[in-house]
Amino acid sequence: MADNTTPAIELRGLRKRYGSGDTAVDALKGVDMRIAPGEVVGLVGPSGSGKSTLLKCLGAVIDPTAGQMLLGGEAIFDEVWKVKDLRTLRRDRIGFVFQAPYLIPFLDVTDNVALLPMLAGKSNKDARRRALELLEALDVAHRAKASPSLLSGGEQQRVSIARALANNPPIILADEPTAPLDSERALGVVKILNDMAQQHQTAIIVVTHDEKIIPTFKRIYHIRDGKTYEE
Amino acid sequence: MISLAARDIAHSWSKYVFTGIGLGLLIGVTLSMAGIFRGMVDDAQVLLRNSQADVWVVQKDTQGPYAESSSLPDDVYRSILGMPGVQQAANVTYFTMQVQHQGKDIRVMVVGFKPGQPGAPPSLVAGRHVTRSHYEAVADVKAGFKLGEKIRIRRNEYTIVGLSQRTVSSGGDPMVFIPLADAQAAQFQKDNDAIVSGRERTAANPAFNRPNVPGLLEAVQMSQTTSHNVNAVLVQVRPGWDAAQVAADIQRWKHLQAYTYADMEEISVKKLIATSAKQIGLFLVILTIVSTAIVSFIIYTMTLGKIREIAVLKLIGTRNSTIAWMILQESIGLGLVGFIIGKTVSTLWAPAFPKYVLLLPLDAVLGLLVIVVVCTLASVMAIRAALKVDPAEAIGG
Amino acid sequence: MKSPLLKKILLPLIGVVMLGGFAWVVTQQGPMAATKITVTLVTKQAISASVFGIGTVEARYNYRIGPTAAGRVKQVLVDVGDSVQAGQTLAVMDAVDLDARIQAAGWAAERATASIATAAATLKLAQTENRRTTSLVARALVSQSSADTSQQQAAIAQAALEVAKKEQQRLQAEQQALRQQQASLTLTAPVAGMITSRDAEPGTTLVAGQAVLTLADPQSYWVKARIDQSQALGLQAGQTASITLRSAPHQVLSGKLVRIEPLSDSVTEERIVGIAFTPVPAALSSGELAEVTLQTGQKADALVIPNAAIQQQAGQPGVWKINPDNSPQFTPVQTGIHSLDGQVEILSGLQADDTIVVYTSKALRADSKVKVVEQL
Repeated sequence: MADNTTPAIELRGLRKRYGSGDTAVDALKGVDMRIAPGEVVGLVGPSGSGKSTLLKCLGAVIDPTAGQMLLGGEAIFDEVWKVKDLRTLRRDRIGFVFQAPYLIPFLDVTDNVALLPMLAGKSNKDARRRALELLEALDVAHRAKASPSLLSGGEQQRVSIARALANNPPIILADEPTAPLDSERALGVVKILNDMAQQHQTAIIVVTHDEKIIPTFKRIYHIRDGKTYEE
Repeated sequence: MISLAARDIAHSWSKYVFTGIGLGLLIGVTLSMAGIFRGMVDDAQVLLRNSQADVWVVQKDTQGPYAESSSLPDDVYRSILGMPGVQQAANVTYFTMQVQHQGKDIRVMVVGFKPGQPGAPPSLVAGRHVTRSHYEAVADVKAGFKLGEKIRIRRNEYTIVGLSQRTVSSGGDPMVFIPLADAQAAQFQKDNDAIVSGRERTAANPAFNRPNVPGLLEAVQMSQTTSHNVNAVLVQVRPGWDAAQVAADIQRWKHLQAYTYADMEEISVKKLIATSAKQIGLFLVILTIVSTAIVSFIIYTMTLGKIREIAVLKLIGTRNSTIAWMILQESIGLGLVGFIIGKTVSTLWAPAFPKYVLLLPLDAVLGLLVIVVVCTLASVMAIRAALKVDPAEAIGG
Repeated sequence: MKSPLLKKILLPLIGVVMLGGFAWVVTQQGPMAATKITVTLVTKQAISASVFGIGTVEARYNYRIGPTAAGRVKQVLVDVGDSVQAGQTLAVMDAVDLDARIQAAGWAAERATASIATAAATLKLAQTENRRTTSLVARALVSQSSADTSQQQAAIAQAALEVAKKEQQRLQAEQQALRQQQASLTLTAPVAGMITSRDAEPGTTLVAGQAVLTLADPQSYWVKARIDQSQALGLQAGQTASITLRSAPHQVLSGKLVRIEPLSDSVTEERIVGIAFTPVPAALSSGELAEVTLQTGQKADALVIPNAAIQQQAGQPGVWKINPDNSPQFTPVQTGIHSLDGQVEILSGLQADDTIVVYTSKALRADSKVKVVEQL
């Protein structure tokens, strides 16, 4: 990676300590990461390695104890933690893809995707148009009006990717996105993620321990004992 | 922005409908309870309204004729007619008794009235008014009699010639109107055995049975079996005169008790139903608390069932207020569904109640307001639970 | 939701049913609901006025038969229900000492007769003495004074005879009175009739005026009826009446108003009338309750409405008229004849073919919405 481009996300010596005193546990002991826009990286590590904590820090739902996180060169955690800022930050600048699709069951497919632009203040019409574009791109537009519970696992996962992309965030966090899928569909999802990363210049971090897809990443961060090692 | 609450309700509508029906029945019971109370008050008031009187004249130092017994000589009304400001004055008698109808006992209030005077049945729903001065009756439809049927009151049979509606005593017993003379006789009439043995008793008394005064015994016996008493005199006041002033004059100069409409309302409505009002009021409070608890529990359970969705919504940047508003809307929506069902069923089942149930629109509006308040309170617990949800729960477990 | 079809149809259906029910409840049952009424037309027809009263069957004349003086009943010869002829002996009072007194009076009269004889003899002697003295005076054999004395003696004897005669008459009259008293001890029937009560038995002592028996003439039975003063207008002797006895409630007997008593009962506020049976039925029971309906008049062509239509407002009778725009309007009326079948003649306030309200489901007001139905 060229150092002169501004990374989509950069972590510098990120630390997280749970508790205090004798019972304090250091989950992260200085994590460094740099991911460029449009890049898809893997994050691999056994359970208890601090992978989950790192993901929560990246997802702006918990605050690190020390270190810096920069989104597009803008530092996030050296300011005082402000709920509102982080909420809009999550809404506008981070997309989430989960192990299970976690679609909102009482909204149809379109509105599940359109909800994010709506929350960001877009009109219902614009938000739905944006959602339909993404569904089209992800090849699930034919189920646009269906209830999420009627979709197959793969379709649901594609809808959730569309949702992650809805506000065109610079970074997408994908937490075990292929876990419930067979290898053919898993590879399909990875391909979509790669395509989207290319298309939207989005940095995508895929947390996984799925052996089928690990080889597809150009860069992989291993996390072990609260520290990352790049491969 | 789309309404999350509406989408959620539409999605799990069956749960809402069934919960709404349950809540609706509970609200229906609450509204009916209020209706029963209003009906009781109305029963007491309708008795006064139907009398068409401005002033009630009763025995001195009694609170008759409804709350206490009262007895007046039946010629008192003539002297009252002579008082200034009196337009009409009519004798009236009231007594409660059991009558037989198709082999069943019915409690009725027998009213003795003068046709065309205060105290007469105000309007009919079938048949005609009494035209003969004896042995004809107008009965309330609730007594169950049909036109042309006979009703036996003491020793005489009366033909039902007309039916009235909402003519009940303060206890809700249907009224049977019969001509005053018959009612006077019936009220104090003993059964035949009692009359015969009474005659024997009088004959055995040497003071009445004096051989050298022929006719004395007969005269005494006659006076024992006739009655010239009534329970009250109903007075209508001339236009422009103050009923309270007329009542005060009667009380002062005739040495009788006279009550105005307001006084009677105080006696027969407020005093009569004071404890009932507290009883039912307490019941309504309990029902409201139970309703609150139920709505609260339902909304809380529904919210707990949506914890993961709420976590995802929070994670993707939904405001807390948006989520709270969604829960509040769902809670009030449930309340509204319950109210609509409750109002409908309470109206539908009201006629089935044996006593009068009066559903006032004002009570329904009050009920609606209480429901909105109750649902708002009930959603507080659920909203607290929702706000405590950590968006981090959505990622990484 | 399992099936979108179910959701598409059932959900709106439930909503529609629920809201429909609610709308029905609000518009048809609440205060916004129209008042249900039944209406009728004011018609021109014949109407007959009649009055109704309650009375008792009684004999027009009752004979209470008893002794004229205090005494003891000796014999009662008839019983309740017996028919008797005029003059028939009904009962006999005990004479007690009356016979002895008659005998004593007889004897006293005989003694008086004897006294008359004595007086007559004395008079005769005195007259003879006087005649003799008078002739002696003429011949101047005795003094004038002797003559005067004998003349006076004769006059005294004459007076004594008069006294004795009167005494005899008196004693005879006394005996006659006692004989009459003896006759009055036999109680006889003054008219033919039936015994309606037997009030004393042999051995009972009665004072003068107490009755032993009561006699009534069954042909004089009539109904003495009481008519409420408010209905008594138009009563006239000779009007036809129908009478229903309590013992035969379905049998209507005919009668005629024969007497309206000039005095009303001021306590019960009733007129008292006598209605004769035409003809008198057999086996009437005195004291039986009877209902009387009298025809007091009729009109061939009157405006007539049912009495249920008449309402009182501020002491003023009136009816609710339905205007052509279907709004109710209270119209005061004056009423005439009230017939017993519930029709009322309208003297003023309405015209033929006006539509008026008869029955209402609740009290009407001028701004009430109304809905006409066949029956409430």
